[in-house]
Amino acid sequence: MRCAWEELLNLLPMWMRQPVDRQGRDTLQEIRLRRGRPPELVSRAGSIWLERQAEETDLRFVINAASRYSPWASSSVGQGYLTAPGGHRVGVCGEAVVQEKGITAIREYHSLCLRIARDVPDIARGLALDRSLLILGSPGTGKTTLLRDLVRTRSNRAPGAVVVVDERGELFPVGFDCGKRTDVLTLCPKPQGIEMALRTMGPACIAVDEITSERDCDALVQAGWCGIHVLATVHASSRRDLERRQLYRHVLECGLFEELVILQKDKSWRTERI
Amino acid sequence: MTIKIIGAVLIILGCGSVGFAMTAAHRREEGNLRALIAALDFMQCELQYRLTPLPDLCRLTAAQCGGALRSLFIHLAQELEDQISPDVFHCMNAALAKTPKLTPQAVSALQALGRSLGRFHLEGQLLGLENARHNCRSALEKLSENQEVRLRGYQTLSLCAGAALAILFL
Repeated sequence: MRCAWEELLNLLPMWMRQPVDRQGRDTLQEIRLRRGRPPELVSRAGSIWLERQAEETDLRFVINAASRYSPWASSSVGQGYLTAPGGHRVGVCGEAVVQEKGITAIREYHSLCLRIARDVPDIARGLALDRSLLILGSPGTGKTTLLRDLVRTRSNRAPGAVVVVDERGELFPVGFDCGKRTDVLTLCPKPQGIEMALRTMGPACIAVDEITSERDCDALVQAGWCGIHVLATVHASSRRDLERRQLYRHVLECGLFEELVILQKDKSWRTERI
Repeated sequence: MTIKIIGAVLIILGCGSVGFAMTAAHRREEGNLRALIAALDFMQCELQYRLTPLPDLCRLTAAQCGGALRSLFIHLAQELEDQISPDVFHCMNAALAKTPKLTPQAVSALQALGRSLGRFHLEGQLLGLENARHNCRSALEKLSENQEVRLRGYQTLSLCAGAALAILFL
């Protein structure tokens, strides 16, 4: 299991680095910082609270470090998250600044949820490499981790290029192996990215993480009928969950995906033909 | 007698060097401000068209500059990458402390820049850069007012003061 641990520690205020490092890189899943309360370190075994309280300056430190002191280069704050170096995701809660074009910034930060990105090789072993797959799972079940390994495995073992449209910059941060035939388009919105990849990169397979909007679904359906395979992830705990949501019903019914990969809470998976 | 002449020459040279040093400091200040304005122009272009993150922006700017400013931007990039300071203002102060050769006007413009960098989205950030550039230009204009006359004045005054001292001692 690989993890950009140094990058993670560098995101934290100095006083937190040592206790977090002591927790160990293999067990920690999330770090939650809430203003005026002790930081919570979440691992599979449960939660540990540090003794000192997190202040507003600590939360700002994390935001500055995650955005590399460059708010202009991280417009995703308006969508409630930031992707930090190393692929770690910082979820943000606070006082939103709303303007005509929607949420543009967060004025005061109240809580942060730092989710640790991990690269687990070989977890996609056994999954079909010659068809379109939709990976479903509830938050924290490992959809992105599974997709990352699936892309790498397909890229190394099956013919043709795999183009990854990595809108959040989480799938293949610097240092993560993406495979021999993978091309990664980072921080590009999925609909435009899929179109660009189709037109210019000659892919045999396109992979995207977390399809959440109608435009994402439309772009995938368009791409699906161009003779390529599609790999995608979606938030849903079961096939029934997925079918209940209007947004995804069309994607399922049109036959774009041939197989569902359903992730469980314990991070194991099973497949289901559509 | 020879010793007296040598003493007089030394006094004149010593006083004269003070005037010439003041002139050199003035020119250095002007050079620093001009270089800083050029660096700010470059930063604005980079930000506007490529949305470059700040540490990379500092390294690129360092590559465009020379002398003390180059060293400052390298130190600033390093401070930002080390992620020890809570904000850019602290990083800028640390970088300034490591770059002693900058002139006071440039230091004050850079401190003002450090207060705005990394706080705003693109529009606000560009405004911050424009503000810093405006400050530099104002300072430069003040320095340039009657510059030649003033600098010649420093040199003449120091040489004359030296000569007067020498005459008094003789």
